[in-house]
Amino acid sequence: MNTFARRWEPDRRGRRAAATGALAAQRGRTSADEARGSYYGVPVIHRAHWHWLIILYFFLGGITGACYVIASIAHLVGPSEDRRLVRAGRYLSFVALVPSPALLILDLGRPGRFYKMLRVVKLRSPMSVGTWGLTVFGGFSALSALVQAAEDGILGRGLRARAVGRWPSKIIGIAGMPWGLFVAGYTGVLLGATAVPLWAKNALLLGPLFLASAFSTAASAIGLALSAAQGTEPATLERLERLERLTIGAELGLLAASRARLSATAAPVTTGTPGALLRYGTVGSGLLVPLGLHAVARLTSEKTGRRLGMLSSVLVLVGGFLLRYVTVVGGHASADDPRATFDYARQEQSGTPA
Amino acid sequence: MPGLGARLGRGGATTFLQDLANSDCIVIMGANMAENHPVGFRFVVQARERGATIIHVDPRFTRTSALSDLHVPLRAGSDIAFLGALINHVLTNGLWFDEYVRHYTNASTIVGEDFRDTEDLAGLFSGYVPAERRYEFDSWRYAGQATDPAPSEDANQDSQAYDQRVGRTDGALEVDPTLQHPNCVFQIVKRHFSRYTPELVEETCGVPRKLFLQVADAITRNSGPERTTAFAYAVAWTQHTTGTQMISCCALLQLLLGNIGRPGGGIMALRGHATIQGSTDIPTLYNLLPGYLPMPNTAQPSATLADYLGQVTAPTGWWHHAPAYMVSLLKAYYGDVAQPENDFAYDLLPKIGGDYSFQPMLLMMQEGAMQGLFCMGQNPAVGGQNAHLARRALANLDWLVVRDLFETETAAFWHDAPEVRSGEVRAADIKTEIFLLPAAVTPEKDGSYTNTQRLVQWHDKAVDPPGTARSEAWFIHDLACRLKELYEGEDTPAARQLQALAWDYPDTGGEPHLDEVVREINGYTVGDGRLVLDYTALKDDGSTACGCWIYSGIMPEEGRNLARNRRGDERASLGWGFAWPANRRMLYNRASARPDGTPWSERKAWIWWDAEQGRWTGHDTADFPATKPPSFRPLPDAKGMEAHGGDAPFIMMADGKGQLYAPTGLRDGPLPTHYEPWETPVGNLLYPDQPRSPSAKLHDRPDNRYHAIGDPRFPHVITTYRLTEHHTAGAMSRFVPWLAELQPEGFVEIDPVLAGSMSVDNRDWVTVSTLRGAIEAQALVTDRIPPLTVHGQRLHQIGVPWHYGYTGIAVGGIANDLSALIEDPNSLIHEAKAFTCAVRKGRLGDVGSDETVTDRASARGAG
Amino acid sequence: MSVASEPQESPSGSTGARPGAVGFLTDVSLCIGCKACEVACKQWNQLPADGSVAGSGLTGFSYDNTGDLGATTWRHVAFVEQAPAPTGDLLAGLLGSAPTQMAWLMLSDVCKHCVNAPCLDACPTGAIIRTRFDTVVIQDDVCNGCGYCVPACPFGVPQLGEGDRGAHKCTLCYDRLVDGMEPACAKACPTDSIQFGPISELMPRAVERVTELQNRGVEQAHIYGDRAWGGTGGINGLNAFFVLTAPPETYNLPASPQRPSDQVLPAFLTTAAAALGLGLAAVAALRGR
Repeated sequence: MNTFARRWEPDRRGRRAAATGALAAQRGRTSADEARGSYYGVPVIHRAHWHWLIILYFFLGGITGACYVIASIAHLVGPSEDRRLVRAGRYLSFVALVPSPALLILDLGRPGRFYKMLRVVKLRSPMSVGTWGLTVFGGFSALSALVQAAEDGILGRGLRARAVGRWPSKIIGIAGMPWGLFVAGYTGVLLGATAVPLWAKNALLLGPLFLASAFSTAASAIGLALSAAQGTEPATLERLERLERLTIGAELGLLAASRARLSATAAPVTTGTPGALLRYGTVGSGLLVPLGLHAVARLTSEKTGRRLGMLSSVLVLVGGFLLRYVTVVGGHASADDPRATFDYARQEQSGTPA
Repeated sequence: MPGLGARLGRGGATTFLQDLANSDCIVIMGANMAENHPVGFRFVVQARERGATIIHVDPRFTRTSALSDLHVPLRAGSDIAFLGALINHVLTNGLWFDEYVRHYTNASTIVGEDFRDTEDLAGLFSGYVPAERRYEFDSWRYAGQATDPAPSEDANQDSQAYDQRVGRTDGALEVDPTLQHPNCVFQIVKRHFSRYTPELVEETCGVPRKLFLQVADAITRNSGPERTTAFAYAVAWTQHTTGTQMISCCALLQLLLGNIGRPGGGIMALRGHATIQGSTDIPTLYNLLPGYLPMPNTAQPSATLADYLGQVTAPTGWWHHAPAYMVSLLKAYYGDVAQPENDFAYDLLPKIGGDYSFQPMLLMMQEGAMQGLFCMGQNPAVGGQNAHLARRALANLDWLVVRDLFETETAAFWHDAPEVRSGEVRAADIKTEIFLLPAAVTPEKDGSYTNTQRLVQWHDKAVDPPGTARSEAWFIHDLACRLKELYEGEDTPAARQLQALAWDYPDTGGEPHLDEVVREINGYTVGDGRLVLDYTALKDDGSTACGCWIYSGIMPEEGRNLARNRRGDERASLGWGFAWPANRRMLYNRASARPDGTPWSERKAWIWWDAEQGRWTGHDTADFPATKPPSFRPLPDAKGMEAHGGDAPFIMMADGKGQLYAPTGLRDGPLPTHYEPWETPVGNLLYPDQPRSPSAKLHDRPDNRYHAIGDPRFPHVITTYRLTEHHTAGAMSRFVPWLAELQPEGFVEIDPVLAGSMSVDNRDWVTVSTLRGAIEAQALVTDRIPPLTVHGQRLHQIGVPWHYGYTGIAVGGIANDLSALIEDPNSLIHEAKAFTCAVRKGRLGDVGSDETVTDRASARGAG
Repeated sequence: MSVASEPQESPSGSTGARPGAVGFLTDVSLCIGCKACEVACKQWNQLPADGSVAGSGLTGFSYDNTGDLGATTWRHVAFVEQAPAPTGDLLAGLLGSAPTQMAWLMLSDVCKHCVNAPCLDACPTGAIIRTRFDTVVIQDDVCNGCGYCVPACPFGVPQLGEGDRGAHKCTLCYDRLVDGMEPACAKACPTDSIQFGPISELMPRAVERVTELQNRGVEQAHIYGDRAWGGTGGINGLNAFFVLTAPPETYNLPASPQRPSDQVLPAFLTTAAAALGLGLAAVAALRGR
């Protein structure tokens, strides 16, 4: 944060003058040399302060929204034997929801003033609409979980609990579904609506990417829960895995499209540690390996298959988390790179109709 | 000051900052105006926007250069070669302003036959006394002048006093209006500069011929009846052993081009800091009394008031009035004690018998001749030349009073100086008793500034100073009252002086009423206490008192302090503040009109003769007797101003002319001559036998050793300078976080070629050393201080800002630990703008075995 | 600077500034790098000195020891030294033949007070407002430190304060404007490099100035802050704009920044499409047989 933290400090110690010619080779590196190509390497824009709290929220937000949607859809179109899936989805949505506001509030510079978010609605601010969206969705998620709990008898057998259990959970699910989709995807839009080249340049695909990842991680989370619990129908798990495969496919497609869209701007997430994490953590073990495991699982016994399925789910979850991590951390590196900002601004100009 | 004074009559800037906007060409040389006078620089920017050509001649490409059309990098200290070549260019190509030169300068005056030029004597003028490193001035006089010798001064008793006797004449001068006489000033000047060629400039200054000719072309094209060129200089001209002559050389050039006393012309002397002009007008200098009256000097007849007045009163010109000013000053000093019968208590006035300027003072402290020191607004532990020696001198005092805003290096040297930190000196061994008294800063006190253009501006107190901090006026008033009390009834010379002192300022809470001080400075009639209108009302019979005659008129009536005025306009802004003398903004402005009194041109009209009204009129107050017509011709034996014609703009001069050749007033020659800086890597191409100033004052001693010419151990030229972000020795800026953060520590500017040869990159540490000291700093490797080719060799210059010290927030090596005590013979100012040094990669500790550093240590041991 | 297209054409000077808008015209060709603006700003707004005081010392960025704008630095003077070409010319310079003139560019950077301000768009609390002077101000008593304005700004202006964790930036001296005074930096500028006034007066002045500079041979002179440069995309102009004499990147300014919030609707639409697709996939996958 400090202007003088010198996070932009170039590694100028070891670098000799890059100028050409025999004479130039004898020149000491000057102040002007350090300003060549950028302003001494000082970032043009300021990076966001977001870190673990927000990365975790991005991950949980996807799960809470997508779990809710999956549960609602399963309730609507799925066979009655998938009630376990619906129940798991509703509970997981709620479980993932609960810490989300806390993470967001803790991340604020002045947490005591979180309520200031609710003064206004600003459609141009994804954070504003996101706050409202999360608030509304939180109501649905909690409500559905409540109904589920009532149905499950967790709330007891009292009159009031039974009344709650009779609430129209399908209608609630249909009404809450758009909000779930919103919560699962708006975080990508939020990153895209900044000046950070890595995010902004990929603004149109970040939402879909986060949404696809939300679905794959949510499906994996539900799958993991159902697998861990006894008595789930293999067909239910099969359907979930089908959903996992579809969303993983969508995610892979979106990652490839993002890579193409970003070209050189992608450097912060294709190189170094973030690059490795994205390549091996998300794409490799988080997406491709689970696909492979699904294929292998069919050839094995049910028990082994279930274990492989659980492993695959864990890998998808880890990959989904890493995707958020790499995106956020890569964004910081991208913000710190003045050349990326220059290129982004110049390209947008040539690409934008007057 | 003597540089301008000897040629023009007064040491002050001839023009005012706002007028620079009227220039067609501005040459900034020996100054970094944008950085050190940023507010005044706005008028340079305005001139540029109106189409003027801005030229910056400086070793470094600075923020001034960045806004200039042309930057001319030259070798530090070679300025006279450059200016002399401009003069030669003007003279050989017939580019001088003929009518101006013929009427307004002494070009036609014939010089005595005994005079010999440096061209005749291989670098010396006639009259040189080698054993005493000084000149006898007799042979420099005009032809036919009385044999009464010009005051020759005892070599031990140097002072710049009496220099206003410039061009003192006895009887009519011999002239040759055709300017052809071989000994007329014009021909002497022409011969003197005949070898200052573009080739010499290239060889000596390192300035390519083409670039030099660009400058020559710009200034000559922009001089003449329709156009004017201005020069601006600052302390980068004064801080040389030839500094006074650099300035005088500029004055000579500007006289030839006809640019003095005209709008957009002149020489803008940029003062080193706020109210430095004021501190010479009402001086803190040891050899001047207020208003540039010389301090009585035992080397000259000075025993009685008559003796003194005989010396300072010029038969012709304005200094004919000196007795009125001196007697009025004595009346102001001594009040009722000063009576005609006792020579107005003249005998109480101290008489000087030696050089008590700052550098010799340090040596007197070092040698124990001086036991106590008041340091007010000065920080010699950083700002003193050979600052290491300065700190040793401070350590040898019995007592030291420091009044400042913070605990400066001077107050903290005994526990914080580098030599104390390193253990070389033990704090316990320092005997000096130090009193640190907190001072009030400008908004915390009433007072005035006299800025660079002689403009007095009043400021009112806005807030109370914190704690026990008090104004200077409070302190001096309190000290004076205590001293008077202490010496009451004692019968010693010192006691008599204090007892006689008229010190009756009313005060409130110890703060004297400054209006009373301004009243006294303005002057009043003793009988009824009525304020005088201006200095023409002052008398030599004791009926008037005046604290500083040149400021007379600042308070023409009770309660009306003109320094408070704040009415500006597009011209001279006569309604803004008060400029001495008599609210004249442009000096010698009679020269802005032709000899017949009409403007040289519509474009450059400033003041002119209004025949109908019978007086001078125009945009400014005339620096000339207001009703003396252009046609006025003096009678043969006329005295004072009656001896000047109606076409003699330089009223302070005996002959009313600008002095192309100055027969007196300059100790090192009537004409500027190129001498190398005392420490130089190269010899003198013009005068191989006399490479350096023959009359520079040296202090060659084991703790102040000089480098020989071309000493291979010290191959580089070093120049010290200031930054916008800091103020002189830093007391006002290095302790202020907002300023300190802008330039947080010292650095050394090095060119990339020199840096490359040492494998130094930007921000690497380097150590700079001389025989006086060594400092470390990070290198700012930059093309802004380019290597030059001088005498066919590549020469590197390095630059070190001298603000930094060891206290405050922004700290760094003390640049003045490197410089030496040495004096210009006229101004007694040191040479910090050009000396030699060694540069090495690494920090101080890393080069412990370094030859130059060991040398320094042994030198110190010996000293 | 590997930038191909350089501004040559006469400036448009067109922006979407609202009637009555005020702002800064910062003219680099008049800047002497004195940093009086930085100090005046810190003094008026009582901002603390930055890390230099904490001992991080010299940056080595020419005479710029400030680095960039931040929570406690609302004016920042950039210094760029441009040496003559280091190859042929330098040799010639060393041999003493061809004179070589270098350049030292200085620019006093500041919040741009965008006509459509990305920080204001991003702010979820309404802490960032547009004032009656058409300037953009952060209300510190509303700001909850969410920090979203920080990456939203394409110029790197707002930043969270280290101590109070609220977002801070130039207010264009709102407290002085309401009293009819000009902002502290413009007041302090000795060469009128920083001029304050109504955009309707400043912008024509800038257009005239650029034309004049171009006629003087400063071919790269251009306005930064109209719809052609700096005020590009949906930003629609900057109320604090500049006359530059080198490509914007030289001064660490993006050539043609975009208004990030213009991406919000398209991005939500693609996300909605994806939601539809993924929803259908879920229906397909979860449908009972």
